[in-house]
Formats: sequence, C-alpha cells, structure tokens
Amino acid sequence: MDIFFQQLINGLTIGSLYALVALGYTMVYGVMKLINFAHGDLVAFSAYVGLTIFSQFFGANANSIFTVITIFLFTALIVAFVGVVLERLAYKPLRTAPRLSAVVSALGASLVIQNSIMLIWGPNMKIFPSNLIPNTTWQIGGVILTFTQVIILALSAVLMVALYFFINKTKIGTAIRATAIDQDAAKLMGINVNRIIMIIFIVGSALGAVGGLFIGIYYRGLTFDMGWLYGLNAFIAAIIGGIGSIPGAMLGGLLLGLFNAMISGYISTEWADTFTFILLIIILIVRPTGILGEKIAEKV
Amino acid sequence: MIKLSKLASAVALSAIVASSSLLADTVKIGVQAPITGKYANEGQGIDQFVKLIVNEKNKQGGLLGKKIEVITCDDEAKAQKAAVCAKKLVNAGVFAVIGSYTSGATEAAQTTYYRNKVLQTSDGTSDSLIKRKFWTFFRNSFPNSAQSDFTADYFVNIKKYKKIVVLSDYSSYSEGLGDATEESIKKIGGNVIFRGKIKSGTQNFTAMLTKIKSMNPDVIYYSGYYTDGGLLRAQQKQLGIDADFVGGDSNDNPDFLKLAGSAAEGTVLINFPTPDILPYKEAKKYLKAYEDTYNMKPPSIWAVVNADGLRAIIHGVEKTKSFDTKKISDYLHTLKDFPGITGPVTFREDGERIGAKFIVYEIQKDGSYKVIE
Repeated sequence: MDIFFQQLINGLTIGSLYALVALGYTMVYGVMKLINFAHGDLVAFSAYVGLTIFSQFFGANANSIFTVITIFLFTALIVAFVGVVLERLAYKPLRTAPRLSAVVSALGASLVIQNSIMLIWGPNMKIFPSNLIPNTTWQIGGVILTFTQVIILALSAVLMVALYFFINKTKIGTAIRATAIDQDAAKLMGINVNRIIMIIFIVGSALGAVGGLFIGIYYRGLTFDMGWLYGLNAFIAAIIGGIGSIPGAMLGGLLLGLFNAMISGYISTEWADTFTFILLIIILIVRPTGILGEKIAEKV
Repeated sequence: MIKLSKLASAVALSAIVASSSLLADTVKIGVQAPITGKYANEGQGIDQFVKLIVNEKNKQGGLLGKKIEVITCDDEAKAQKAAVCAKKLVNAGVFAVIGSYTSGATEAAQTTYYRNKVLQTSDGTSDSLIKRKFWTFFRNSFPNSAQSDFTADYFVNIKKYKKIVVLSDYSSYSEGLGDATEESIKKIGGNVIFRGKIKSGTQNFTAMLTKIKSMNPDVIYYSGYYTDGGLLRAQQKQLGIDADFVGGDSNDNPDFLKLAGSAAEGTVLINFPTPDILPYKEAKKYLKAYEDTYNMKPPSIWAVVNADGLRAIIHGVEKTKSFDTKKISDYLHTLKDFPGITGPVTFREDGERIGAKFIVYEIQKDGSYKVIE
C-alpha cells in the first residue's frame, strides 16, 4: 500500500506541473483557437531565467523565503512580458489569417525561443542548485514526502483555485469567458479583445513560469530543448481535460501525472509514454472534446 | 591574342593549383564529437585535447614535415548528425578521425570512414563497434564486456550483494553495458532482481524507483550517462531507498555531482582511473599542458583516451613514414605498449585496445573521489 501512496504522490507532483503548464495552452486556445506551441519553450525559458536570477543576485547559499519569493515573482514578471511580446510579434499579425498560418507561426516561435535559450545560456546542461528550497523530507508510514513536493502541490493548488476565481468571479474573468465564446460579439459588447488576449498571455505565461521554476527546482538539470518534453505532456493533458476548459486543464494535468506514475509503477516504465498516447486516442474517440470539454461552453 | 593569353594564364593557374594541392603542406585530421547538446562538455574536452596535441606537434615541425590541420564536426551525440559529419570530414580530406564520444554516434559514422579508408579512433565502449572488424577502426577504451565482468565480480564476490538492480537507458552503449552486466552477474551466480530501462532526458524517474523500492535491493547499478545518473541518484535518496548506487563509467563527470547534489556522497563509480590519478609520465605532462592551456581539467577520462588515440595515429604515421592509412593501420594492429597518457597502448588484431584496468571510486562529501578497489 505504501508503494501505491508513494506513486500517488509522485504522480500528483508531476501532474501539478503538467497542470500549471497545460493552463497556458488551454487559455490561449480558449480565447484565440490557437495552439501556442511556443508555450513549452517559454516554460523552459523560465527555468533558465529563475536560475540566472538566483545565481546572479543571491549567490550560492541563500535559502530564505524572501529569496524564493523574489525569484518566483521576477521570473513570472519577465516571462509574462516575453509572453506578451511573443503574442504581439508572432500571433497578433495573424489573428485574421487562416488558423494554419498561426500554427506555423507558433511552431516557428517555439524554434526561436528554443534556439535563443541555446544562444544565451549555451547548449550544455545547466544545473539548478539544490539549496534553493530546504531538503527536508517527511516519512509517513513508508511514504516519503519532500518539502519541495509539498510546496509544488500546495502552490499549484493555490494558483489553480485563484485562477478559477479570477475567471469565474471577476469582471475581467467574465470578459475572458465572453471573448472565448465569440470574439466579435464580445467586441460589440465593449470588451477590449486586445487587452483580454494580453491578459491571457500574461496569466498563462506567468503560470508556465511557476511550472518551469518548479521543474528546475525539482529536477535540477536544465537543457535548452526540455520545453518540448513538458510542452507535449501538458498539451496532451489539456486535450484530455478538454482544451479550452480551465478546470479541464487542471484535471487533465493531474490525471496524466497519476496515469503515468501508475503505469510506470505497475506495468512498465518503458511503455508509459505509449500508454499515455493510447489514453489520448481513447479519449479522443470516446469524448473528442475531452473530459470537461463541453461543460465550459454550456456554462455561459 | 588576348584570349589566348587568358587561356594560357588560366592553364598556368590551374596547373599551379593542381600542383599545390598535390604538394599540399598540410594534412587534415578530423574530430567528430558532441560539441553541443547533452554531452557537450565531453565533446569539447575531446576537441580541446586534440587541438592541444596538434599544436604541440605543429610547433615541432608538424607530421612528416606537414602542418596538421584539425577539422571539427559537431555530431551532437546523435546518429543522424554523426552520419553527416562522417561525409563532411571525408569530403574535407581527412586521413584520420578522432571520436566520437558516444558509441551510437561512432557506430553511425564507422562505415563511411571504412569505405573511404579513413582511420577512426573512439572511446565508444559498445561491444558492437568491433564486431564488423573494420581495419580502419581502433577502440581506445575497453569494451563493455570487460567492464561488465569487472562489475559483476565486484558485486558478487567482493560486496556480496544479494539483490541487484540493473538500470540503463536506450542508447546502444548503455543498453549494451546493462545487458552485459546482467549477463556477467548471472554467469557467476549473482541475483539480478530487476532489469529496467529509462528514457534519457525524461527527468522524472520516481515511478520506477518507487517500484524498485518495494523490492528492497542491495544495490542499484546504472549503466547510462551522467546526465540521468545524477538525477537517478538524487531521486533515489529522496525516496529513501537505502541501496548502494553504483554508476558505470559514463557517470564519471563533474555534472553528476552537481545533479545529485548532497545525494552524490557515497555514490560508487566504476571506471578507468580518473585523469588526475594516472600514474604515467605522459599523463603528468599532458594533463599539466591541458590545464595550462585551457585553465581547467579535462572533463573526464574520455577526452584523455581520445587524445591517446590521436597520439597512437601520429606515432603510426611517423613509424611508417607515410600517410597511407592501410600501412598505418597494419602498424597499429601490432602496436605494443606505446606509452600512452592512459597507460600502455596495445591494440589487438580487431582494433581493440587490450589490458583493461578498472578502478572503483567512492564519491566523498566534498565531491572528491576515493579509490576503494
């Protein structure tokens, strides 16, 4: 049983990371009907930004809560800004163009970001210091829980709840939902669609930045092409949950993480990715809109 | 008349060009290594070491009176890129190639060099590299089978481990070494309770490690590269798995320590002697030269064995007084105890370097290595 709970925790941890990244995909898709393939690379970029802020401004050993908060805040700010610039340069000019053009532009943007990371930080693996968050671990029965995992689970949960309220209970949130349903109608109602899209990119990129930083802190080894790995998984998570749906992305991320951990733990690590795709195919056949896909459309 | 003189000058010019290419005063040596990508620091080490030796040789007047020119091609440790590199280096007219670091990239380029009669020397340890018996190919490290026998003996007869877990990734080197180790352990009566494979670069190994935890192993052996090995070790400790962690040769890299963090302590590595404890005269000289030139130590033993490959080839050229690769190869196949940086170099008939000598190290708290066997 211990093993089961351990896999549960492993799965939820990686699942929350997928969920944070998946939110970026799903929000952009919801409003713009565009798969932002550059999102995964933005996540990788944020891990590098966080590492740079840490090593440039905080030296080697400063694991105070202040340091951690500062790093997260500044990384989120920088990445949100880059996200907005990305939208302005790569997607805005193509907003009325056929959807394929925007997708190609997204793939191009992904390559640009990936190669920029390589040019700025070099092609070699960069390593996140292990002392940013204390190495405390707890043992409950035979299950090991680390401080990092607790922070990841807790902060992701807080962010997701906050996002849920932001989307559902605020005026901007209502405007975002309205824009998601019909951009033209939203415009006629006096909603500034440009501003909404900008907010989407700010929020999505900032969440991705938190995810990227967690990936850096949790796994430590950063490679310039790591964005693809997390981007793909988060993208699958978003589709499983129902792309365009915010609760769907959260659910999809957690489910994918759990599914992957259980398959790896009980069936075979070698086949885990294959099973992920089998799950994706089954979902697409049985419920093409994803688990929570339709709900959001009905809601408004 | 003008036309005629133009023609004449053109003919003269082409004659000059042709003769100068015949009497070219340079000779080209290729480096095929992962200069960028995951194993970049190893590849750059190989490139730097080769350039160091070539510069030294050029200062002494070159090779048989010709200046040596180094052409580097980055294979990113990928098979497709390696095949492109092989074509590129052959077209550039190299007579010998040093590299590559990974067995996969070496193997992908091997046939092209063989067909074009270009000598190749690599540190790749995959057993398959020698199987095709190309006369152009020389292996400067020791094969997986030698390492696996050593590892099995250490596990079963010395440490008396009862439950052994063997992990590898999917690269031809790692999978080969993992399989060979499993086989060697079984051959001498050891007990492998789990043989797993991880996908290099996936970062999250907790699921497999949790599964391993339930088996209560005495030791986890990992036959892959340091980029994943360091993370495996960190996640093993994090999950509270008490088993020893033993890494194969490719875990021997400073980045392993950084990735594993505090978990690095107590990790055991099996490899050739590290550069700084090589007891040979050449080692002291060249390692000092390397540090003086680049302000750093070679990333690992692999840059050094590749440098030995180059030195053996240079030695072969000087002995045979020719650039005929067949002649050099014939000579190298009978080479005995050439004083290398990594010890005496002796090649077998099939290009295998013989005289395997492995050492077991334990990583200390401060990141230094302690030789334990």
